[in-house]
Amino acid sequence: MKRLLSSIRDGRGFDIVLVTFPLGFLLLMAGLPLLYNVLMSFQEVDMFSLGTFWRPFVGFKNYADLFAQPETWPILGNTALFVVGSIAGQFMIGFGLALFFWVNFPGASWLRGLFLVSWVMPGLVVGAIWNWILSGDFGVLNFILRESGIISGNIFWRSDPNYSLYAVIMANIWLGTAFNMILLSVGLASIPGDLYEAAELDGANAWQRFWTITLPMMRSTIGAIIALGLIFTLQQFDLFASITSGGPNNSSNVTQYWAWDLSFRQYDFAKGATISVIMIVFVMIAAIVYVRSTRHEVRG
Amino acid sequence: MTKQIELSGVNKYYGAFHALKNIELSIEKGTFVALVGPSGCGKSTLLRSLAGLESISTGDLKIAGELMNNVPPRKRDIAMVFQSYALYPHMTVEQNLTYSLRIRGIGKAEAKKAAEEVAATTGLSQLLGRYPRELSGGQRQRVAMSRAIIRHPKAFLFDEPLSNLDAALRVHMRKEIRTLHDRLGATSVYVTHDQIEAMTMADHVVVMKDGVIEQQGAPLELYDRPANKFVAGFIGSPAMNFVPATVGADGRSLAVDVGEKQTIPVDRQLEPGRVVTAGLRPEHLHFVDPGQGVFRLPVGIVESTGSATYITTSTAAEVTIVETSRRSVRTGDIIDISVRPSDVHVFDDKTGVRI
Repeated sequence: MKRLLSSIRDGRGFDIVLVTFPLGFLLLMAGLPLLYNVLMSFQEVDMFSLGTFWRPFVGFKNYADLFAQPETWPILGNTALFVVGSIAGQFMIGFGLALFFWVNFPGASWLRGLFLVSWVMPGLVVGAIWNWILSGDFGVLNFILRESGIISGNIFWRSDPNYSLYAVIMANIWLGTAFNMILLSVGLASIPGDLYEAAELDGANAWQRFWTITLPMMRSTIGAIIALGLIFTLQQFDLFASITSGGPNNSSNVTQYWAWDLSFRQYDFAKGATISVIMIVFVMIAAIVYVRSTRHEVRG
Repeated sequence: MTKQIELSGVNKYYGAFHALKNIELSIEKGTFVALVGPSGCGKSTLLRSLAGLESISTGDLKIAGELMNNVPPRKRDIAMVFQSYALYPHMTVEQNLTYSLRIRGIGKAEAKKAAEEVAATTGLSQLLGRYPRELSGGQRQRVAMSRAIIRHPKAFLFDEPLSNLDAALRVHMRKEIRTLHDRLGATSVYVTHDQIEAMTMADHVVVMKDGVIEQQGAPLELYDRPANKFVAGFIGSPAMNFVPATVGADGRSLAVDVGEKQTIPVDRQLEPGRVVTAGLRPEHLHFVDPGQGVFRLPVGIVESTGSATYITTSTAAEVTIVETSRRSVRTGDIIDISVRPSDVHVFDDKTGVRI
């Protein structure tokens, strides 16, 4: 007993106690709900069996049913487009801004900090702001496009099935660009300046220095950002809820919104869980990419 | 001899700070020039100006006869070895070496051949596939030099390249750099704060202080005839002793004030009664038998390294003597010192200029 106590105070026992707490927390708060979700996707769940744990097992029936539904593939396609479009937009604009602020003109770091305003705002507020911007009749976006002669008639961004998904993508790019910019700025700042001087003396012009020094040195940062971007865009829910609600006619619906809609509006809990499981697979892949790219830091 | 690098009337300002003051320097092709001085003296700024990494405010900078004031670094055809080496961490040694060739669009096979040739001369053949992080300090240093050599540039610039190496390796690399310079027939400018490095490696030493060239010339010229007190104190190790002195009535001797007035002869005619500073190099002061010396000094500290004995006197103006013969001497002894009249340096008391 005495030995056990002294081990807990000062020894392996202490290490085990330290590990147990976070592990227990993770298991209870993240692991169990996750597993419960997976379990539900293989069960038949209705309003009357909600309170029980062991429900009738149906094997892959929920998955088969899901893919038999006509809206499934379009919604998966929407999700892919939303993820790729958002990440591409956030990354490219974010990288552009990071390079811009890297020039370090007076006030650069101060201004860069201000850009974070978009990122700290709640998604629902951002959605509300973009609802005004995107508004068909008096929105400022239509005004700008019309006045600059790009469009002749108003586009009803939120209610036109051809544009509704792009409306959310635009808002999401605006929301996530600042975060990309900050992480990329940190990556840029960690590249030693003398590498550029050496490359300059070796005859490389600005363009060549970007491709041969900046980009390769940023590889791990870029990998981490793309992986995080995938995770964040698959989590994006507020903007759909506040801008299009997935409509019209699922034209802007994506899996994360659909899963919620199926579970908590249509009370088809099994299908909702099934979609969630499919998403978990993709997020896991992103998480692995993230962990790998932050582990392989290249620093001389 | 053609002039490879010429600087005339070069000034550099950072805002109100005058970093380089009226620099006049001309470097002939094939010479090894060392820029030496204490930190903040402007030697690195001068080197970076040559490279084009800093722009000069006024004056002319010519490389191989061409005016380079506004030419960007990549068009100056100059190679630089950085203190940090600045190796590209994401490239192998071979890719580091061939970077400049690939930028210029030279073919893969040809670049590879060039890298192998250079690597063979610098002992890197076995390391071509490694990344910089897998190399030791000395090997990184070699990669940095090889990267410069492969381009056959108009001039090599070295920015304190040995300061990150340990003492033994530094002495070794010193010889290696100089040998390489001679073999390539290169023009090199080498920045260091270590006067020994400058003296041993260079054909031409430039001593700088506060953005001004205090003196430039062959190493031994600087040692034998320092232009002022600063150069005299900077060149030579241990540093020259400075003692207050007054010129004797005959103008051929100095009354030096080391605790008590003692008279030492000089080999040139000076203005009688003038207050000056006498400069005596430790290695020029010899410990002699009683009655044979020109002055007598009480011994303060004795340090023996085996090859030499460093004696520091307990006088008000401390005097250091380096004695290579093994004489037994102890703290508190009074010893007799001799010095040749031609080895006595005399500087103006106020301006520090050599008389």
